[in-house]
Amino acid sequence: MKQRITFIQRVDAGFDPQQAVLTASSLSIRSLDAVREDRITVGLDELPEELRAVLEQSHEFHLRWASERSFDAVAPFSSRVSPGLHVHYTPLQPESSSEALCALLRTVVGPNKDAQYKDCSKLEDSFVTPPLLSTQFASSDSLQYYTHLPSTQSLVRYIQNTVCNQSRTDGPECHTRADALLSADSVDIDYDSISHALTVSGLWTSPPTGGWTDQFQKPASAADQIEFGLLGADPGLEPEEIKMGGLLAVVGQDEKLKPTMFSFPSRHQPLTEPSSYAVSFAPPTGLHPTMSISMPRSSLKRPPAPSDATCALHTYLTLPSTIFGDQYQLATTDPLFLESHNLVALRALAGEMDLEAPDWVVQRWGSNWLLELATPLEAEDAATTPGPSNWTATIPLHLRYLPPSETGHRTAYIPWPVVFWACTAEDETNMGVNPFDRTNLGWDSLFGPQTLFYQLQPAGGRLVEEIDVPVLRLEGGDGYFQSKYIEFGTCVVISLGFMWVLWQLARVAWSSGVGNTRTEDVHDKKE
Amino acid sequence: MTLFGSPARVFLAATALRLILLAYGGWQDAHSAVKYTDIDYMVFTDAARYVAKGESPYARDTYRYTPLLAWMLLPTAWEGAAPWSTLTFAFGKVLFALSDVLAGWLVVQLLVRCYRFPVERALRYVAAVWLWNPMVANISTRGSSEGLLGVLVAALLWATLTKRSILAGFILGLAVHFKIYPFIYGVSILWWWDAERDGLAMAGSGLLSKALGFVTPSRVKFTAAALASFVALNLVMYIQYGQPFLHHTFFHHLTRIDHRHNFSPYSTLLYLSAAGGAETRFEALAFLPQLILVVVAVPLVLAKKSLTTAMLAQTFTFVSFNKVCTSQYFLWYLILLPFYLPSSSLIRKPTLGVSATILWIVGQALWLHQGYNLEFLGLPSFVPGLFLAGLFFFAVNVWILGIIVQDGGDGSGEITVAQK
Repeated sequence: MKQRITFIQRVDAGFDPQQAVLTASSLSIRSLDAVREDRITVGLDELPEELRAVLEQSHEFHLRWASERSFDAVAPFSSRVSPGLHVHYTPLQPESSSEALCALLRTVVGPNKDAQYKDCSKLEDSFVTPPLLSTQFASSDSLQYYTHLPSTQSLVRYIQNTVCNQSRTDGPECHTRADALLSADSVDIDYDSISHALTVSGLWTSPPTGGWTDQFQKPASAADQIEFGLLGADPGLEPEEIKMGGLLAVVGQDEKLKPTMFSFPSRHQPLTEPSSYAVSFAPPTGLHPTMSISMPRSSLKRPPAPSDATCALHTYLTLPSTIFGDQYQLATTDPLFLESHNLVALRALAGEMDLEAPDWVVQRWGSNWLLELATPLEAEDAATTPGPSNWTATIPLHLRYLPPSETGHRTAYIPWPVVFWACTAEDETNMGVNPFDRTNLGWDSLFGPQTLFYQLQPAGGRLVEEIDVPVLRLEGGDGYFQSKYIEFGTCVVISLGFMWVLWQLARVAWSSGVGNTRTEDVHDKKE
Repeated sequence: MTLFGSPARVFLAATALRLILLAYGGWQDAHSAVKYTDIDYMVFTDAARYVAKGESPYARDTYRYTPLLAWMLLPTAWEGAAPWSTLTFAFGKVLFALSDVLAGWLVVQLLVRCYRFPVERALRYVAAVWLWNPMVANISTRGSSEGLLGVLVAALLWATLTKRSILAGFILGLAVHFKIYPFIYGVSILWWWDAERDGLAMAGSGLLSKALGFVTPSRVKFTAAALASFVALNLVMYIQYGQPFLHHTFFHHLTRIDHRHNFSPYSTLLYLSAAGGAETRFEALAFLPQLILVVVAVPLVLAKKSLTTAMLAQTFTFVSFNKVCTSQYFLWYLILLPFYLPSSSLIRKPTLGVSATILWIVGQALWLHQGYNLEFLGLPSFVPGLFLAGLFFFAVNVWILGIIVQDGGDGSGEITVAQK
């Protein structure tokens, strides 16, 4: 087992050498004001049998979870995914059985009260295949899943019950580390069949009250290792680079903290000026809500990418099956439609596209949409027109019918999309040498491997929108709204209508039979 | 007088109305993000583009029509520079609008020839109900294919009333291939077209001779032609496009569960049962009252008294008792109204006519209000709002249907001219 603990201090955060003390057997930190990332790498043989069985069938397995609380993502951890649980999975054999992974997923998602959770009995039914834009970018996963998941509680419980109980010596330590994930802003789990190792990463973008105070003991086993880093990040010399400097140590191995300075190319870059966006649905949402992504105009300056790079603003939507876009409406090239919504084009889409199916018929979790957004003209910017200070892109969406409920409403949870600039990097930069590189986010594989990404920060208390979906109101017990009244009422009215028409026909047949009438049309003669 | 005195003037006005709407539609499409063109037209033209590329029209999601439609609209797939492409794009709309006018012309011809209407009177009714009806002109210029159905039904009537049995059969087969529902007219026409109608000797009174007497040359030719054209068209399409053709053109319409709100009285029940909340399976029997009335009772009682009124009653029943009903369905019976209205009690007794119109509009308005609350305001108006509005609208329709049936029994809309 390998652990890597990284603290990233902001430029303005204070640091006193007494706050990080390394001894021969441990390292302690005190009241550290920093962003923290814990990364634990575990060999396949250290994992419980049931988890190993699933991973051994995987070519690649990537889990991404992000909190719905708003957090500041700083370099080199500036990449984002929509809040919730994302799973990217490539089986070793295309036809290998997938029920084990589904069972695992069900445990991790936990007993979800939420009716919109798409249960996964077979992967092929509930997962979607992401679009492969070009075979050149073959990093796309073959299967992908998403669900709304506000808390990692059941994931943590699962780790504690299986992984922690497996290890003999550091059981309590493992429980504490797992518990810490509950307050993480994002959690990544990665496995691939080449390294045969499982990596779990947690990211905390703000310290607990009073700062980080922790102690890391030298591992008991020689096979285990704890790396420690206390770093600061700066823009590198090249626009695609990040420069980091600070102190590094391997606990129990190094005698003192080693000062260091290094730089590397990074696909995820911070925006130098504060840039934010907010997502909302203008009420009343009805059955056709429109998603608004609104950004202060000051947020829309071109990112500090190389001057010859082409940059475009994008948004990547993760829509649960309760809500969907009309691919024909959004893929239009009609400039009037696109201009009225401040969109440029629909660039990629994947998942559940049925325009008519109710939610209970849809088996897959939902859909993903990559849209290029329009940005204000430079001239408009320069003139600093006293127009609206916000630039808003809108995306028309539609709700599916949901099952009846007692109140006549159900809630659809829609995670905020991510909004970012994508810029083509100038040359053949190898982004993989970045020790903090992050891929398999869903949207990154829709661009070439040399693309630079600059995330806008979501500005809001909660990064999930709730939409009230009107549904058929059905009460149990002795309420007015019962299914039997609908069934009975329809049956009676139709039957009465049927009898009435039959009766009228019978009266006609009675008085004049079913044969021809030979009466002259008297009314005609009036004319 | 004057305005209705000349057919040329009426038809020129109808054509002008459509041309203006077409031009206006083109302008709105080019200048507004809200399009005049119907969303269905985009489906048709997308499908035509697939066909032009040698692919199946069913490659376009929600294309649920005969490939004939995509074939007819092939010119819309022609590429070209700006003014040229606008014209080719509108080709289908022009076709639908022309069908409208042609349907109106056929109805006028029938009223004048077979019903001995003075030209002016015929023109006045057809203009009011169809040719100058802004709804009809609007629907076809927005690119909805219902106008084609209008001309097919008018042509079917024309071929039938002028005793062209083989042609009538062919048209019926084509119409059913196009939109399934016109099969109901086949029953009425068959029952109507007895030996007496052909001027042949009446069969004897015995049961056997009556049964044998039912089989007349006209009926045989009509049936054979209808079956031949229906089967031949389907065979060609099946060979060309295989299972997707059968699925999207026919099975989809027969097996679809329309859980979304619409004018049908079954709408709320279907939502309930599709979501698994119903205890009975009453809606599974919905075809019974509908088909008993449409295929058996209405044709049997009314067809021989007045073919057009029987067909109107059939269409009205079909639409009212259907499991799904949207406003385009109302167009289906509009084309038959000029035959019925002139001698109907709705015109004879203005209070009755005005009441029926008001009640029908109130039924629509109540439903639309609830539908607006749901669709745009997000209020859960399924129950009681939409449920009761749907049932009330059904009740109004059934009441009007009773009036049409009674009028049909009195021979309203029947041909007064001696058979040839």
